[in-house]
Amino acid sequence: MTDATAPGAVPSGAGQGSLLARDTRTAKRNAAEGRFKIYGLVAVCIGIAALIVLLTSILTSGLSAFRQTTIDMQVTLDEERLDPSGARDYDEMARVTTFGYAPLLRDGLQATIAAAGIEADLDPGDAMDLISDESIAQLRNRVLDNPDLVGQTIDLTVLASGRIDGFYKGRVSYASAELDSNVSPEQLRLAEALEERGALRTGLDWRFLTAPDASDTRPEAAGLGVAILGSAYMMLIVLVLALPIGVAASIYLEEFAPQNRWTDLIEVNISNLAAVPSIVFGILGLAIFINFAGLPQSAPIVGGLVLTLMTLPTIIIATRAALKAVPPSIRDAALGLGASKMQSVFHHVLPLAMPGILTGTIIGLAQALGETAPLLLIGMVAFVREYPDTPLDGGFFDPATALPVQVFNWTQRSDPAFVERASGAIIVLLAFLLLMNLTAVFLRRRFERRW
Amino acid sequence: MNDMRHVERTVRVDTTKITARDVQVFYGDTHAIRNVSVDIPDKTVTAFIGPSGCGKSTFLRCLNRMNDTISVARVEGRIEIDGEDIYDRRVDPVQLRAKVGMVFQKPNPFPKSIYDNVAYGPRIHGLARDRADLDGIVEKALRRAALWAEVKDRLSAAGTGLSGGQQQRLCIARAVATSPEVLLMDEPCSALDPIATDQVENLIHELRENYSVVIVTHSMSQASRVSQKTAYFHLGELVEYGETGQIFTNPQDERTENYITGRIG
Ligand SMILES: Nc1ncnc2c1ncn2[C@@H]1O[C@H](COP(=O)(O)OP(=O)(O)OP(=O)(O)O)[C@@H](O)[C@H]1O
Ligand SMILES: [Mg+2]
Repeated sequence: MTDATAPGAVPSGAGQGSLLARDTRTAKRNAAEGRFKIYGLVAVCIGIAALIVLLTSILTSGLSAFRQTTIDMQVTLDEERLDPSGARDYDEMARVTTFGYAPLLRDGLQATIAAAGIEADLDPGDAMDLISDESIAQLRNRVLDNPDLVGQTIDLTVLASGRIDGFYKGRVSYASAELDSNVSPEQLRLAEALEERGALRTGLDWRFLTAPDASDTRPEAAGLGVAILGSAYMMLIVLVLALPIGVAASIYLEEFAPQNRWTDLIEVNISNLAAVPSIVFGILGLAIFINFAGLPQSAPIVGGLVLTLMTLPTIIIATRAALKAVPPSIRDAALGLGASKMQSVFHHVLPLAMPGILTGTIIGLAQALGETAPLLLIGMVAFVREYPDTPLDGGFFDPATALPVQVFNWTQRSDPAFVERASGAIIVLLAFLLLMNLTAVFLRRRFERRW
Repeated sequence: MNDMRHVERTVRVDTTKITARDVQVFYGDTHAIRNVSVDIPDKTVTAFIGPSGCGKSTFLRCLNRMNDTISVARVEGRIEIDGEDIYDRRVDPVQLRAKVGMVFQKPNPFPKSIYDNVAYGPRIHGLARDRADLDGIVEKALRRAALWAEVKDRLSAAGTGLSGGQQQRLCIARAVATSPEVLLMDEPCSALDPIATDQVENLIHELRENYSVVIVTHSMSQASRVSQKTAYFHLGELVEYGETGQIFTNPQDERTENYITGRIG
């Protein structure tokens, strides 16, 4: 009552005059607000434009990685060549190298050309260059896996070679073929003739996602299978280790630890760790996990551990922020009812902090998924063609690569077809990131029950 | 203030529930409570009055050791409940708080359903044998807090979705549901309309049958209506403590008189 201001005490100037006319101060404030909105809008537009440019460039050069040119043919698996002894003995048959299989495919292709009625002025060896070398190895593996195929004539869809594939993806033209020692215009003409007769097609092919990496000269066969598995294994390790450790550490520091110099020190250290360059974690991993603990190189377990160390600070900082944001009155309410500290945290504080914790975790995981530098140091850049085993069979210890490392690896190679592969790998990486973010949004929605 | 309707002024001075001796509370360097000694009898309503910032809430929080949760707070002196020193090293504050319930100055319902808010205490203390039992406890608590009629059809709705006054009554129901022996209420009616206030005051009367209730209030009329004993705090000191009737009609200290006659605060 006593502190009610007397009318006379209102400072004159403000709020006097007509409300219909805008005074100069209001006009100025509105102008400032308008300017600020424009700055913000410009910043947002620049960001969106950059994003659009980035995405279009990646999509235009990378989407074709999911399409593949293939040739249909019939191949007679000649017993004379493949299993002279006739015993179908694996070791015996394995002696026949890809050189033994190449003539079969060559003959098959010639037969296809003849059946299509194409007059090719190419000798069979040059025509054979239409087919990827990888296909010969694939045929050999297939026969070794099913010895019963020997002696039969089978329908086969083989990969076209990189240059022919490139011809259908706009990388190779008649003009460039003139100058290219790897492909000739005649071969391109033959490919077109085969396409007209329906023997050669370019279509959607998921082998890019499942096949392992291939050598420098076979970009058409290079796939992401091993890299996706490696990345998935590492994410699994990071999630299983970093989430519980990070959340437990944050809960302890935020809710239980006494506030003293030690906890201050730990806090500063965690914040600093989050800013340590990732390559330093790679060196740490190399020194501790490989040199000291003797874990194998190139293995997802080492990569996972290194990425866990890297992700922990992110998760801890996000979790602590989420815990701090829970109003203290909620803790008081629980404690006041005779709940223990642990009950108040687990029944009330943690559920409220969950959306923040999940967001932080997924941001940390996304960071880890895209991390390249530390993985280079622990040998995950190696050329790995063998799929790692399932985790139950010790797959975490088998050599593997990771998606971002595969991108790095492919961009180092000379054949321009690998640009397409690398862009394709980036698309896959982005798709996984998008998936993770969607999961984060979904989980947040689930936990953020509006009360 | 002259409304002294149904107050029993006779205090059965049989037992003392809470004894405080030379209690000092510091928040860092701030000396918030100075030398407070008080005997709070069982089965009575004791009102703490005094100007804002004089330490009523602080002293109230000493009685269930809620000050332990404030890292800068330090409590000295001796506080006994039923003759046991609650600041003894062997005392678990968690056990103490189940015995000494509290309604906070600001309503702080859990962001859970109305039912879960009230059921939380009985659940963690294992007070209900089965679901039906728990339902009964919840209903009884909500009835006592004069909230049942308003929420009985939406027990699964969010407790935070209630109005401020309803939230405060929900917090009262929540505190009552654990059947504490002492109930500390920090301005429980500050957000309530006269009707709900009346209902809460009736609840306090009812609680007095079994419990000892300590209530902080800024409303002198409320203090005189509900309490048998009144303590007047001023700048961290307990200035005067005695029968409510005596404090309001014949205060011994000048500061008390100034306060209750509206000359300060
Ligand atoms: N958490 C805290 N940290 C530091 N000082 C505090 C804290 N809580 C209260 N104080 C101080 O202690 C003194 C007493 O505060 P308290 O909350 O007990 O007052 P009050 O009598 O309940 O006032 P009100 O009637 O406004 O609720 C005040 O000077 C206040 O500034
Ligand atoms: Mg207060």
